[in-house]
Amino acid sequence: MTGKPLHDYSIAEAGKMLREGKVTSVELTKHALDRIAALDGAINSFILVTTERALSDAETADADFAGGIDKGPMQGIPYALKDIYDTAGIPSTCHSKLRVDVVPEADCVVEQAFKAQGGVMLGKLATHEFAIGGPSFDLPFPPARNPWNPEHIPGGSSSGSGAAVAAGFMRMAMGSDTGGSIRGPAAYCGTVGLKPTYGLLSRRGIFPLSYTLDHAGPLAWTVEDCAIAMDAITAYDPLDPGSADVPKPDYLGGLDKGVAGLKIGMPRHWYEKAEGASPETVKAIDDAAQVLAKLGAEIETIELPEYDLFNACGRVIMFSEAFAIHEQDYQTRPLDYGLLTYMRMTLGAFITAADLTQAMRLRRELAQAVNAKLKSYDAIVCASSLAPAPRFADMPVGMPANWPIHTMPFNVTGNPAMSIPTGFSASGLPLSMQIAGKAFDEPTILRIGAAFEAATQLYTKRPSFELAQAA
Amino acid sequence: MATQPDDTALMQEFDVFAARAGLEIPPDRKETLFLGFKDLRKMLAVIRQPRTAAAEPAGTYSLDTITRSV
Repeated sequence: MTGKPLHDYSIAEAGKMLREGKVTSVELTKHALDRIAALDGAINSFILVTTERALSDAETADADFAGGIDKGPMQGIPYALKDIYDTAGIPSTCHSKLRVDVVPEADCVVEQAFKAQGGVMLGKLATHEFAIGGPSFDLPFPPARNPWNPEHIPGGSSSGSGAAVAAGFMRMAMGSDTGGSIRGPAAYCGTVGLKPTYGLLSRRGIFPLSYTLDHAGPLAWTVEDCAIAMDAITAYDPLDPGSADVPKPDYLGGLDKGVAGLKIGMPRHWYEKAEGASPETVKAIDDAAQVLAKLGAEIETIELPEYDLFNACGRVIMFSEAFAIHEQDYQTRPLDYGLLTYMRMTLGAFITAADLTQAMRLRRELAQAVNAKLKSYDAIVCASSLAPAPRFADMPVGMPANWPIHTMPFNVTGNPAMSIPTGFSASGLPLSMQIAGKAFDEPTILRIGAAFEAATQLYTKRPSFELAQAA
Repeated sequence: MATQPDDTALMQEFDVFAARAGLEIPPDRKETLFLGFKDLRKMLAVIRQPRTAAAEPAGTYSLDTITRSV
């Protein structure tokens, strides 16, 4: 081992050391567990740390290595799951009073894959209640906080996933994304966050928020970590009605190919003059585009349908589907939901069948418009968020139309989209951009992200909250 | 685009929707939820624009059309 702490080794580096016998999975896991025990009190990223399970997984991985059994790049690597992922024999609460005692009998498909490939499950991570209501202080568990500044939110709803990865508790954690719940926390916490193409990852065993908008996906410290996780869990699932029976993309093969010759479109009208857009965020995206241009990409400003159309379309569908899922509990035990969940999800009760049909028609138009543009461009670069993470004290109870997370378009269209750090605000909070691509062309957006990441090396900077914690 | 009704009319609409959905909205939550309802009404106006005949939902839930629609 060299001098850097174990959590700063990438999944690939740790995997190499595991295979060379320079570190054991138990050492990696104990390091992670110690770090969580020392620091998570400041950011509340975990709902449940599964210490015994993690150490058991690690011992199994080490025994397999010793026996010449290699199940793949995730063997012996610690990870964690948003607490809407079902885990057999382990509570899966959705961060809600309504499910605080729920212990699933079976693993979700994603967890089955990690388990089969020898991963080490550290525990279950905080979320906004049912992936929509938060950050909240009226739930059975406290809200996760942003490790870059715990007075600020980490984003949501995969709040614990973003906070935990940024804090260095693990290199990769799973989240879910219905309107931006992977890319938002990634943007606010300075991690990579990938919402894959709709249908690429199985959602079976993950508690739904909105059937036609939900996506599973990883939040990771680097693009490569993200690609490795995707490789481990991509598989057609005939029992998930949305699952796509397509060849598994080669996520890793193109990471070092650079961006020379790629044509990237930027719908600047979506964000540069939007209400709440911070000059720092816009400048950081422009600077990132300059970096990509210097690396050989061709950057052009493009026009797409207005952002508000995507936002309205996605929200009408999301509120409708979410309320349909929760209708009975809203009628019989509404006060068991947290206030923010109640204020947001109840809106689904006020949408008519005609409204939903119009949203579905609009969805078709918007998907066509984006896919038509992507016939001429390899990728789209735009904002993930209009501004850095706000303070808890500044969060609204409802979900105003000018929500700063600008990720809904690619939930509506189903295209893959990734948030990646672009730098830091003057106040020290992460800034970000979003890279979106053609359906099932995750390799191209990972390739663009990897090139930008290699050029900027932003992943070398970690939050210093541990110093504040120690003080 | 249709103009938004006044608050009195909107509150009547709000109450009808809530009753139809079988919801008993706690009095201390009603005012904030009503603000959300008004925002939602504005969004619903946004999506109710003229569409072409091709913009219909039959293909919306097909992967081929969601993800590769053109």
